[in-house]
Amino acid sequence: MSSTKPLIKINEETSDFASEIIERGAKIFPKEELKRLLTCIQCGTCYGSCPSGRITAYHVRMIMRKAQLGLKEEVLRDENLWNCTTCYTCQERCPREVETTDIIRLIRNMAFEAGYVKKPHLIVSRNFIQTGHSIPLRDEDKEKRKRVGVSEIPPTTLTFPEALKEVQTLVEATGFKEKVLKLLEEG
Amino acid sequence: MKTLENPRVGVFVCECGGNISDVVDVKRVVKAASEWENVVVARHYTYMCSKPGVELIRQSIKKRGLNRVVIACCTPKMHRKMFERNVEEEGVNLAFLEVVNIREQCSWVHHEDPEGATLKAIDLIKGAVKKVEKATPLYPGKMPVKQAVLVIGGGIAGITAALRVAETGIKVYLVEKEPTIGGHMAKYAKVFPTLDCAQCILTPKMGEVAENTNIELLTLAEVVSVEGVPGDFKVKIKLKPRGVDVEKCVGCGACNRVCPVETVSDFDEGLGKRKAIYIPFPQAVPSAYVIDFNSCTKCGKCVEKCPRKAINLDDTEKEIEINVGAIIVATGFKLFDLSEYGEYKYGIHPNVITALQMERLMNVTGPTSGAIVRPSDGGEVKKIGYVLCAGSRDTNKGKPYCSRVCCLYAIKQALMMKEFMEGLDIWIHYIDLRAAGRRYEEFYKNAQIEGVKFVRGKVSEIIPDGDQLIVRAEDTTLGRPIENRYDLVVLCPPIVPSPEITKLAEILKIPLDEDGFVLEKHPKLDPVSTKREGIFACGVILGPKDIQTSVSEAEGAAAKAINFLIQKEKIIEPNKAYLATPEECDACGECIEVCPTEAISIASDKVEINEILCNGCGACIPACPKEALDLKGLSDEQLMAEIEGVLTGSESEIKILAFVENEIAYTALDLTGVARLSYPSSIRVIPVPSTSRLKLKHILYAFAKGADGIMFLEAPEHEGPFGKAHAIAEERIENYRFDIEDYDIDSVRIWFSKVYVPDWRKLVKVFETFDRMIKDEGPIDQETRENLLKKLEEESE
Repeated sequence: MSSTKPLIKINEETSDFASEIIERGAKIFPKEELKRLLTCIQCGTCYGSCPSGRITAYHVRMIMRKAQLGLKEEVLRDENLWNCTTCYTCQERCPREVETTDIIRLIRNMAFEAGYVKKPHLIVSRNFIQTGHSIPLRDEDKEKRKRVGVSEIPPTTLTFPEALKEVQTLVEATGFKEKVLKLLEEG
Repeated sequence: MKTLENPRVGVFVCECGGNISDVVDVKRVVKAASEWENVVVARHYTYMCSKPGVELIRQSIKKRGLNRVVIACCTPKMHRKMFERNVEEEGVNLAFLEVVNIREQCSWVHHEDPEGATLKAIDLIKGAVKKVEKATPLYPGKMPVKQAVLVIGGGIAGITAALRVAETGIKVYLVEKEPTIGGHMAKYAKVFPTLDCAQCILTPKMGEVAENTNIELLTLAEVVSVEGVPGDFKVKIKLKPRGVDVEKCVGCGACNRVCPVETVSDFDEGLGKRKAIYIPFPQAVPSAYVIDFNSCTKCGKCVEKCPRKAINLDDTEKEIEINVGAIIVATGFKLFDLSEYGEYKYGIHPNVITALQMERLMNVTGPTSGAIVRPSDGGEVKKIGYVLCAGSRDTNKGKPYCSRVCCLYAIKQALMMKEFMEGLDIWIHYIDLRAAGRRYEEFYKNAQIEGVKFVRGKVSEIIPDGDQLIVRAEDTTLGRPIENRYDLVVLCPPIVPSPEITKLAEILKIPLDEDGFVLEKHPKLDPVSTKREGIFACGVILGPKDIQTSVSEAEGAAAKAINFLIQKEKIIEPNKAYLATPEECDACGECIEVCPTEAISIASDKVEINEILCNGCGACIPACPKEALDLKGLSDEQLMAEIEGVLTGSESEIKILAFVENEIAYTALDLTGVARLSYPSSIRVIPVPSTSRLKLKHILYAFAKGADGIMFLEAPEHEGPFGKAHAIAEERIENYRFDIEDYDIDSVRIWFSKVYVPDWRKLVKVFETFDRMIKDEGPIDQETRENLLKKLEEESE
């Protein structure tokens, strides 16, 4: 949890974080839809629906509010951000049609860039960079595949080394590889 | 008209398809009735209210020459009017019809005691037979209704009501205390949620008022007295001097330019300045200048300059009298004064303003021509904070209610400024954002999209910091304190009734509610009528509301007033108090003291009762030490006869008489029947307009004739139809309780209860308790009764 002091001093300690999220997300999603973040009325349908929120300190409503208020650092540093399972239940149910899950994902991207990311996520990222798979194919997985009658090795980068090359080109070109390795090194 | 000397009574007992006859032995009832003196016909039938049932009654009147009709059936609230119409068509005056309630008061509440129910039915019917024998005919009166309406208040509600009434050709007097009509709406820039320009939609209506020949506009005017009665009010109106002849003034403004006096502009909510001779705003109606005599030095420069010779510095106050049939109150509101709230710094820091001041500030016709600047230094405004509920929903220093429009006007102002001021940051602090209304939630959402920020949590404190203000609050959605720095803070104070209403309500004799708003006749089902007949209300004087609702109410109030006038002649109910033995009256005035409607006055050496004002409560009758007064429809003689009848019809063991106030208490009693509750059959009801109508002699007579206990069920003072008569009833009965001890009757044999309709279930407990008490006491012995009767006879001689 955050160790921040409770008082929120608007402008002095806040920024227009909501607009930043919207602008950034607009590269992927329609901007008009992202702008619905501004219309959040803190009804709590999202948090009430959240399977992760029931067992972790992940609080999607509060993240939306902090985004509205511009508490950028606090949101990005919140480890619970990574407890969202991206099940999209909150987004399905939001009465104001706020793109909650997409916004969480956008915020995660921003957090990652700022260097706020959890170790397990870095490890799966490294797996992905090295193999094109975030989760390695284990012997028992091969057994299972054999049992259900599909090829032991899936038709992915594991079968097509040229595809792995493409993945690796991408992770390098985007700076993802460098960032992950650097963060891992720093621990 | 049938001959009245020899009563020929018909008794008709309804079975109500078993609703009555399954419990009450109707054959036995009819047999008992047929044996009474003067009863010519006694019949029972499945449904007396059905066509054949009514026909049975009508044929009996015709064929058997009946001149009195008693119908024992359901509550008279159900079919009395219909029976009245039918017997009148057969030539039987409405005073000669009695409807006895043997369903709600017998079969439905004594279903476990058929014997008791039957005996009680016999008693009640005998009471009615005895009463109707002593009746004298009643004739409803008529009075012409003055074809004119007074509308008090020239805001949007008053304007709308005046136009609507005038449209029908009815004369309207529109009274406004300011020099122009238009009210608060004229001060607004735009209206929510459409963002229409307020002036653009208001001023055409004002123009219509000016042009409508049926409307007589009286500005700078104040109602000083109202005499007379609904349908014929005589109203005195004071007209303050204007100093400018409205007919001559063409509004050229030459006077204004030479006027050397500058004073604070009230139209601009104290933010701007104006001259001593001025026009509140260019489209004012009447379109004429006015002199503010409080600041005018009478230098005479304007008089010299006026090309029309319209100015008179020696103008004086005038008084006029008008005559109207109905009145519509539309005096509107003002904002609650927030100087009590130290934490908001209103009146301390110039950059803390009210929303109404903001309306002027952002208005292109306002003191800054629409430029939003800091009042302290004229500096740039980059960030504005709104404080909603600045005194509303606050029982501590403010008002307990929600002022209803603040959420929306704050959003409106924010949206308007967002549109014309790039980069302006606006924050709205709220407790609950209440946007109930068509297109209002959408309006709120739109403001969010436009970047207006909302913080849930009431502002706790405003701290000045130079020209800026730091606002402290909680963001309750995060549960954390929040601090914001603003150039301008806009407070949204409670909307309170216009202060004039306190005096006006006294003049109009209409009650106000606990917050000083006009009390509706019924908050749900008669929302634009006041408690007084012929007086209606609309707009914010009935409670905070938006323009749309004010206009709807104005249309409603206008319709009500038109309806009231359209009858041309008003029916005056015949059940009134009257001076029965004028020779006895010595004008002592005791009756005047107790009358709730001020219907009694002294004319030469006797009292005179105004038939129109009298509401027939009967409170004055026992007040007369000379017994000179009586009540039409329920005379002393009729009451005595009814009491005797109810107590001597059957041979039941214990008899308890219940005098029941005929509106509230009677309705509650009916409800116990509708719910099929059960209470002891010893209770026998005699309805009275108010128990204040009863004299000690009625009570003593009842004890002498067989009552073992007497109950008085009265309406509460504020809910009942007769106001203070209900309170007088309680006082009187408490005195009677002592008085009966002088006649050897124990005071426990009297029971008084105030009955509220929602508490109807409690009546059963009340009846059970009193019945048990009286059974424990036992019946009054015969000797006591005989002595009592003797004493009464002596006293009457």
